[in-house]
Amino acid sequence: MNPRPDPAPAGSVARRLLTVLLVPLGGLLLLALLFDYLVVVGPMRSTFDRSLTDAAMVFAAYVREAADGRVTLELPPPVAAQLAATQGSRPRYALYAADGLLLSGDRYLPAPAGPLREGFSFSTAVLQSGERMRIVWYRFQASQRPLWLAVAEPIGDREEATRPLVTATLTLDVLQIVAVVALVLIGVRRGLRPLLEFRDELASRSAGELEPLDERRVPIEIKPLVSSLNALLARVRGAAEAHQKFVADAAHQLRTPLAGMQAQLELLERDAEALPVRERVRAVREGLKRLAHTAHQLLTLARAEGSATLERDFVTVDLPRLVEEAVTQHLDRALEKRIDLGAETAPAAVRAVEWLLRELLSNLLDNALNYTPGGGVVTLRCGALAGGAFLEVEDDGPGIPPQERPRVLERFQRAAGAPGVGSGLGLAIVSDIVALHGARFELGSGQHGRGTRARVEFPAERLREAG
Amino acid sequence: MRILIVEDDELVADALKRGLAGAGFAVDRVGSAEQAEAALATEEFDLAVVDIGLPKLDGLTLVRRLRRGGNSLPVLILTARDGLADRVDALDLGADDYLTKPFELPEVAARCRALIRRTRSATSAELRIGTLSLDLKSRTAELGGQLLDVTRREWSILECLALDAGRVVRKEKLLRAIAGWDEELTPNAVEVYVSRLRAKLGEAVAIRTVRGLGYRLDEPAP
Repeated sequence: MNPRPDPAPAGSVARRLLTVLLVPLGGLLLLALLFDYLVVVGPMRSTFDRSLTDAAMVFAAYVREAADGRVTLELPPPVAAQLAATQGSRPRYALYAADGLLLSGDRYLPAPAGPLREGFSFSTAVLQSGERMRIVWYRFQASQRPLWLAVAEPIGDREEATRPLVTATLTLDVLQIVAVVALVLIGVRRGLRPLLEFRDELASRSAGELEPLDERRVPIEIKPLVSSLNALLARVRGAAEAHQKFVADAAHQLRTPLAGMQAQLELLERDAEALPVRERVRAVREGLKRLAHTAHQLLTLARAEGSATLERDFVTVDLPRLVEEAVTQHLDRALEKRIDLGAETAPAAVRAVEWLLRELLSNLLDNALNYTPGGGVVTLRCGALAGGAFLEVEDDGPGIPPQERPRVLERFQRAAGAPGVGSGLGLAIVSDIVALHGARFELGSGQHGRGTRARVEFPAERLREAG
Repeated sequence: MRILIVEDDELVADALKRGLAGAGFAVDRVGSAEQAEAALATEEFDLAVVDIGLPKLDGLTLVRRLRRGGNSLPVLILTARDGLADRVDALDLGADDYLTKPFELPEVAARCRALIRRTRSATSAELRIGTLSLDLKSRTAELGGQLLDVTRREWSILECLALDAGRVVRKEKLLRAIAGWDEELTPNAVEVYVSRLRAKLGEAVAIRTVRGLGYRLDEPAP
């Protein structure tokens, strides 16, 4: 139908808002997390390094050259104890000659990787024991010879010392991320609530509800949309009402002259002296009756279509009363044909357009009386079903063969070999009315497989009425 | 029995006038609600047959104005529309019955007779259906001038049916009418009394069984 390619679906506004807000916010928060980490961990690292440097200088101060030229490093016990106290553990050290030869101290510390520059430099190493160490390298001169000093402390100690602070900072950051995501989710949902409420109101409407939507309760962003919708609803409502009025006017313009002609012919038939004249008048009268019947059927079809759009036409209809009315109305015709017309009613009510149900029953009964030969039986039934209700017209006439049943529901179609005259609209009207009420129509055989049973089942009342 | 026809369509009005006259009524006809009000103000009628679709003032307005003015004349409404709204409106406004165009003349005549009979039974003690006549005060029935021998229960059923002659009377209603004396009555009792009544009434009036609903007393066509 549409030659253009389908445009990309607009998707969900909520999802789009969440994407637009959460992706950049999430990125920002992750950056902040990284920044916090650096801000907290960086200075601490340099603080630890400085204290390691201090320790190195203490060690350096106790480097002595013996008379034999051997270089020793021995801390006096009080100094060693104090150092251990400030550092948290006793630092390990190693003193090397400029060529990398270990002169004194811990031989498990790694040897220098290459020539060191003057002053302090830092490195990290993993010992054979698996322990990770932070090492400060100190190149200095003692007795006119360059010496390298390595002072090391386990990184584990540092981590232990800094963990509470880092943990606290990062925990706060994560909490902040969670809070922001939650606030965005809640905010988007709350912000969209009027929109969703509007959607629900629209969705809960039935096809027949054409009353305007309340514009005061919608946000200004969609007010133009609601206004256009209301304008459209008003147009549809207007069209439905104009249609109804047209049909009502047409009914009046058609029925009044038909009534006049029919009544005049009735009188003419009675007054006609000569039998041939009377018979011709009767024939014309029959034709006129058929015309009136067809006009009525067409008007019913036209009105039923218009009425479908007006919710206010639906009322609670008492089925036994409807059945009683239909029987009463058709009793004379039944008596004329010597048909036993009866009813079997049980209390039941449906929400329906009353005059349409009356037409429905009248059409079914009309058919039954038409097709049932004299001496036959026609029975109307109604009653409640689980949550719903049914209406039924059964006759013991010739019945409709199963293969003909779908066809007789079409407009202007009559069952093959159907006796008498008919517009062929009756069952078409019935199926239209059934569809309008969301009911189910079934055409089957009567009791003992004889005759016809037309049954209409109304579903349980729509939920809207309950709520 | 005098009937006023309020109908603007010549063809319909003429047929109604002739048809009802042929059925034994005295008939006058006007073409608008205004003329109808003038006629009703000066003359006595037993019934008005009013078309809804009158020019200017419509039939429903005419009925409403009559009832507001305290006029209780029985009114049979004719309409070319078949909507529920019209029907409900008409009966709510005080019309007594309702017929849709096109109609058959015998049906119009029967409805007119029934309406007039019902109105009269409210004011007079006598009820006439063909050759059957009921005296509601003395609770006696006559058939062709002969006193009819009916029991009290038969009388109650006959009265019920006659007051609504031409209409289906529900079996439950008949049962209530006779249950006053004996609470143990079953719906079958109604059938028994009806069949006895049929035997006594013969061909004069017919009591039709409407299976599953009740009975209808039909007067013979004139």
